[in-house]
Order: sequence, then structure tokens, then C-alpha cells
Amino acid sequence: MNIDATIEKGACMVRIEGEMTIYNAFDIKRGLGQCLGSAGEIRIDLSQVIEMDTSGVQLLLLAKREARRLKRGLKIVSHSQATRSVYELYNLAHHFEDLGA
Amino acid sequence: METEILQTFLSESVELLQEMEDSLLSLENSPNDQDRINSLFRSVHTIKGSSGIVGIESVEKFTHGIENLLSQARDGAIPITGGIIELMLECRDHISSLLEFASAGEAELPAGVAQRDRALTAKVNSLLNGAAAGNEPKEKAQTPKAAGPRPEGDKAETDAWHISLRFGRDVLRNGMDPISFLNYLGKLGEITSLSTLCDAMPAQAEMDPESCYLGFEIDLRSDLDKKAISDVFEFVKDDCAIHILPPHSRIDDYVELIRGLPESDTMLGEILVRGKALTQSELEQALKLQKAGADEDHRGKALIGEIMVNAGMVYPEMVDAALEKQKKNLVAKAREALTIRIDAAKLDVLVNLVGELVISSANMEQHSQRIKDGALMESSSGMLRLVEEIRDSAMKIRMVPIGDTFSRFNRVVRDISRDFGKEIELAVSGGDTELDKTVVEKINDPLMHLVRNAADHGIEKPEARVEAGKPPKGIVRLNAYHDAGSIVIEVSDDGRGLNRGRITEKALNAGLISQGQTLSDRELFGLIFEPGFSTAEEVTKLSGRGVGMDVVKRNIEGLRGTVEVESEDGRGATVRIRLPLTLAIIDGFMVDVDNSFYVIPLDMVVECVELSEADREAANRRSYMNLRGEVLPYIRLREYFSAEGAAASHENVVIVQYAGQKTGLVVDELYGEVQTVIKSLGKVYRDVKGISGATIMGNGRVALIIDVPRLVQTVDAA
Amino acid sequence: MSKTVMVIDDSASIRQVVKFTLSTAGYGVIEACDGKDALNKLIGQRINLIVCDVNMPNMDGISFLKNLKSLPSHKFTPVIMLTTESQEAKKQEGRLAGARAWVVKPFKPEQMLEAVSKLILP
Repeated sequence: MNIDATIEKGACMVRIEGEMTIYNAFDIKRGLGQCLGSAGEIRIDLSQVIEMDTSGVQLLLLAKREARRLKRGLKIVSHSQATRSVYELYNLAHHFEDLGA
Repeated sequence: METEILQTFLSESVELLQEMEDSLLSLENSPNDQDRINSLFRSVHTIKGSSGIVGIESVEKFTHGIENLLSQARDGAIPITGGIIELMLECRDHISSLLEFASAGEAELPAGVAQRDRALTAKVNSLLNGAAAGNEPKEKAQTPKAAGPRPEGDKAETDAWHISLRFGRDVLRNGMDPISFLNYLGKLGEITSLSTLCDAMPAQAEMDPESCYLGFEIDLRSDLDKKAISDVFEFVKDDCAIHILPPHSRIDDYVELIRGLPESDTMLGEILVRGKALTQSELEQALKLQKAGADEDHRGKALIGEIMVNAGMVYPEMVDAALEKQKKNLVAKAREALTIRIDAAKLDVLVNLVGELVISSANMEQHSQRIKDGALMESSSGMLRLVEEIRDSAMKIRMVPIGDTFSRFNRVVRDISRDFGKEIELAVSGGDTELDKTVVEKINDPLMHLVRNAADHGIEKPEARVEAGKPPKGIVRLNAYHDAGSIVIEVSDDGRGLNRGRITEKALNAGLISQGQTLSDRELFGLIFEPGFSTAEEVTKLSGRGVGMDVVKRNIEGLRGTVEVESEDGRGATVRIRLPLTLAIIDGFMVDVDNSFYVIPLDMVVECVELSEADREAANRRSYMNLRGEVLPYIRLREYFSAEGAAASHENVVIVQYAGQKTGLVVDELYGEVQTVIKSLGKVYRDVKGISGATIMGNGRVALIIDVPRLVQTVDAA
Repeated sequence: MSKTVMVIDDSASIRQVVKFTLSTAGYGVIEACDGKDALNKLIGQRINLIVCDVNMPNMDGISFLKNLKSLPSHKFTPVIMLTTESQEAKKQEGRLAGARAWVVKPFKPEQMLEAVSKLILP
């Protein structure tokens, strides 16, 4: 798994690659947290995620909730097949995808 | 073994389909009869269940929706309307044809049947969806539900299971992910609604990313039982709060559920409504109930984590269901005790043996009479009496009431009424009259034809009836009764009656009679049973089936029965069928013609006289004799059966009566009464006119049984 | 992406049954004959689920489970423990070690498949 955050045009772009599972949940939480701590809009790119489990979904839910609380914009800008199938099962597609680009 | 199971299933299904039809027809008159709705549901439910067990998938699949529909009807969610009854009758017919294909071992349904399958399924589903979406079917207006609040204990309309899950913190750490359980659940049924709740997730700082904070509210449509559903979560049962509400749970149970969960009541309520677990009005009632209860009961949140299926918590409706099941089992057991299913072939063997026993004991009786040993005579006549009793009881085993056959015609009459815009009532009497099972089976088709004829051709349209001064509703009557060793079945109607003019015309065209010939009513009406005769002016749906009255007559005669028709112009017609009680044994009168034995059915024998010298001399010139001043046609069996030997020195006449007409049968010797077991003739003899069967006598010789109706016809024709 | 299941049992026939059942259902199967063997084979592998017997020579199932929980890249792997009806005490021990899913021997192939389907991520 690899998570990297870059600042692009005043927005925090988070790109997660590989597995978004419980094995690296702490790292992902930390990465997303750092992004939420910085200024500007948050954009998450999940297109390179090859596996996602419940811990991954929870972190996305947490990030969304946190962003709302901080009145920050958060968008998941791209998805992968692995993440989509989990949203679908959890009936959260509208929750994440309607924010997508 | 497998075929045996299949056979049992098929015969059971025939009964269940009949029950289904009976229920539907009776619901047509009283759509709110809860008992009937229940029994309708049970029939379908059982068919579905057993088809699943024996592996007839087409039936199982097709009945699935019907079962759901009826289950909702049973709970009052869908009212029974004319439309639904019509649809259910169509479904019933369809199930019947599915069964036929299945029993024929057809793997693929013919395209037409498959199409029908889809069309009916779609109709059923649209009714189901209509009810589920709360867009109640239009017919609903006809039977409005009582307004006002639902009484307590009322049930939710949904047919889906409601599953409420709150996963424990450690499930992910223990290697268990809700995703896999939900994915598995989705394979067991259709998840119609799923809401993911994360309210339990703490703020970012406290949130442990390896813990699970999720909860789910799920609606699942599935045939599984509660245990199977809770088994899905068997591995997380210690780490997850699980609530499972069966379909149609009591609203109180939803209240309990809402109250027991940590999330806000309003939100949970909305989820339930969105998932169609509850309707809006049910929710409002639920929340009201809850509010009332909140003051006296504060256990609310304490319930979480405690009410678990596996903790032995049992919902009231589960108890109800268990009790009902128990009750059903008891009823079924009681019925089992009253009746035993026997393979008809085994019964035939028994009856056959008993028949032989009767004959050989009669034979022994004769010998003992000759020996004139007092003690022997006494014991042999005692034995004969017992054997005859055994015979009677054995015959009774085969006797079944004709009522079941009669009730099948309700459907026929009903369909004809609808298709032809007539009002017809079927009146049945004598349904408990019993007759031999074989006869019952074989009489079904002829009766069907007669009932159709009566309803289709006999009964007029309502306007025509009113014009003729009759009530608009016509009556087709089925009646059965015992009469002197035979059973009489009458099919009558109060319709227009047989039209003498038209029958005459038809008969002339068909060359059955010649111009200027005068015929009695009986003779004329008898013509309708002639091959190729049909008076139906318009080709109707029914007359297109290619079965004529001649076939009816042939079938009945095949049962050693007779058929005749009476009619009064404008007042109706009665077809009267006379059948022997049983096909297996007859009381006969044994005679000898040229050293061959013949048996004449005793119930047709009137008397025996000696053929006088005067008549014998005249025999070459005419074929009738003088019986106490009465002219009696006769047949010399010697000639009829082309016996070669010279005539005996003196001959006897057995006078038989059939269909009100007397005929003399000239034979050599008279031997008196015997009881015989009828054996069917081999193929070679099947076409021999005048013989209906054979029997083996006590001495091992074969005697032929005279087919009196056929013989009398030959005389008539001469 | 094919899922891989590791089956750990000292009985070759049990391994055979599990392997046959699961590979027929499309899973990849790795066999190990005891806990030690399993730990060796785990290294560097991505295992999606483990089926593990309780009584085994060298390293029994419970010890294996405890060891597994200490491996950062394998500790959250779902484990199905194979047990017999009479092993109630062992079951308790297993629970403490984090075992939740149990399949009782003898089992039917479809029971095994069912248990695996409930636990393995799609």
C-alpha cells in the first residue's frame, strides 16, 4: 500500500494505491488525517486501490464526516472496481460517488 | 425409489390442485372466508414445498410468487378479488401442466408453456409489487379496509425479513469482515434494502481504524427460515448484536427493535419505511406506541447486545408459527390414522383373489350338497357366507364416493358461464353415493362431456331464458343414487331441451333415418349418441374438442353401463347413466349352448321359459315368439355364436331386459345363478360382439359373459 | 482475483477433502501438515483464509493461532478451526486466542464451503 498526499492548486490530493485494508488502516488513517489538517479542499483518488475491506470504508466515512464537521470540501474523484463493489454492497454508492468528478 | 416418491408427489399434487380449485371457487362467492383463504394458501404452500423436495424446479419456481401473494392475502394485505381468483385459477391450470411435463420427464418446457409461465409470473409479481409499494391494486376499492388506527398486535405488510446488525469492535481483528457475511447473505435471498450506519463511530481522535463501528438495517426476501438466516452470522454471534424479524412481524416487534437500537428512533423509523419494512402509517403507529411505552419502560438502550437470537430470545410470532405447525401436524396425523393409501394394483390382486375364493367356495358348497353330509353342508355354507362377507368388504374398499368427481365440474360450469355470458348454477346431490374406483375414474370423461353439453348447448343465455319465462340463472344438476345393484348418475339441465325437429333433420342428413320414418322420443333422442351426430349450430370453444356423444356412449358401455336421454322441449333434458357398482364381480346366470358355458348378468334376467314346439318350428321364419300374448324378439345364441352342433332336443329361453326392452336368448341348458369374477378377454376376443368378458369356473373351465346391451342392439337393428 | 486458502491438518485425507472441495469452487489451496509447517509456508504469501485443525503434532492449532496473531502481515486472516464435538475445553482456549469460526469434524464438503463463503472476502 502506498498513500501520498500532494498539494495541487490549493487542494489536498490524496492518492491511495494497493490494498486499503485493515493491515494498513493506521497508515491510511494517518494520511487522511494529515490531509484534513491542512487547508483547502480534499480530493481522494482511489483508482489504484486493488482491494478494500470494511476498515477502508470506515475510514472514508470518517473522512467525509470529519470534512463536513470542519466545513471542508471532500471529493472522491476516482474509484476502482474494488472500491465500487464494496460501496455497492454497503449501499453507499450515492454517498461517495455523487461527489465524484 | 425415486419414481415412487415422484408418484406420491404427483397424486398428492392432483389432490392439492383440486383443493386449490375448490377453495377458489368457494371464495368467488365469499371472498372473505378466512378458512378458505388459509386452505388455499396451504395447498399452494404444500405443492411448492414438496415440489422442491422432489426436485421439480419449474413448479417450485412458479409457485414461489403465488405463495407470497396468497400469504399476503391471508394476512389481509391483498384482498381477494375476482381478478385474483381468475389469475389463481389460471395459475392452477398452469401448475397442472407443469406437473405433466415434469412427470413426462421433459427437461425443457415447450415455448408456449414457458411464455405462459413468464406471463403469469409477471402478473403475480406486479400484484405483489403493487402491494409492497403501497400502490394497492385497483380492486382494493371494492373491499375497503376498516378505517381508523390498526388494532394492537397488527402485522406489518412486508414479506421481507428484517435484519438488524450491530457489529462488535473486534470482528475485523478476529478476521471477520461484515462484507463477507453480507455478500453471503445476498446469495441466500434478495436484499431489497440495506442501510449502513456508522453513528457508533467516534470522533477522529478516538477512532481505532482496526475496530468495527458499523451497523446495518437489512430487508431480505428469502424462503429461508429464521435459523438459516441467523446461521449466516453464526461465527459472529458473540461479536455482533443480531435482531431478525420474520416477514409480517407484529408492529410491536418493530417498536421493540427501534427502541432497542442505539441510533435515533426517527432515523431508524425512516430506514424501515425506506426499506419497505414498514409503511408510513405503520411507522406512525409504531412511534406512537413507543412513546406511550417510553414512560413506563426505560430499558430501551439497555437492550442492545442482549436481545440476540442465539441467546434464546423467541419472538411471539415464532411461537404462533410453531403452534400452528404443531396443530397442522396433529391434523395431518389424525387424517393419516383415518385413511391409508394403498397401491390400486395391490387392491386389484386382493379383489381378484377374493373373487376366486367366492367361486371355489360356491363350488365346494355344490359338492357338499351332492354328498349330503350334514356336518359338511353346514360348515361349507357357513364358509360361503363368510366368504361372501369378505367379498363385500373387499369390494367396499374399492368404493369411493362420486362427490369428488362431481365437484370438479364446478370449474367447468363456471368457465362456461363466463365464456358464454350465461348464468349457471351447478346443483349436486347424491355426492356420497359410492361406486367402484375404476368406474369413477373412467366415468369422469363422459360426465365432463355431458356437463359441458348441458351448460353449453342446454342452458340458454339469460335474456332468452327470461323471454321463455324462466329465471335468468340456469341450473345444471348432477345426481347420483343406487338403484337395484347399479348406480344411476343423472346430468340434467333446465335449458331449452332437445330439439326434435333439428335432430330429425340432422339424422336425415347423416342418413341415420329415412324420410317419413316416425320415431318415438326415445328412439329419436337415442340418435344423438350415434357416431357423427352433432346438433351444435355454432362451433364453440367446447364443441371443437372432437369428442361426440357417440364416444360418451361407447365409454359408458365399456363400463357395462347404459345411457339414455329424456327431454321436454323448452324445459330441459336429462341424461341418465346406469352403471354396475363394480366391474370385478357380477352375479350371473349360467347357461349352456352347444357344450359351451355362458354367463348372463343376473340383474338383466327377467325369467326363464322353455321354448315351445310351436315356436321352434316357426323359428326359421321369424325371430320373435309369443310370451303370454306378448311379442318377444329373440336371438338363438347357437346361431349368433355360430355353434356347429345340431340343436338340442329341447331349448330354453332366458328373457333379459335392457333399457326397458325385453329380449329372449335361446340356449340349450340352464344351470342357474353363479357369481363370477370377470376377466378381461385377450386381444383376440376383444372385438367379438356380444361377449363382454370371461370367467373361470370352479372346475377350471372358461365361461363367456354375455354382453346383453350389444345383443339387444343387434335385435333392434334387425 | 483468485483467493487462496491454506489448509493445515496432519491427516492427509482431511487435507485432500478440503483441497478438493475448495479448489472445485475456484479457490487456490496451499497445504500444511502442522502449525510449524504452516508458519513456514505463510511467509511471503498472501493467504485469504486458513482452515486449521486443533490437534496436530509439532505445533497444534491453538499455538499456531497465537503465532499467527503475532505476524503483522497475517494476523487478521480469517481462520476456521476444525474440531471434534468433544473438544469443548480446546474450544474455550481457541476463543481466547481469537478463534471464532468452528467447523465440527466430520463435516460435509458443502458445510466447509459454506463456512468459507461466509468468511472470505468476495
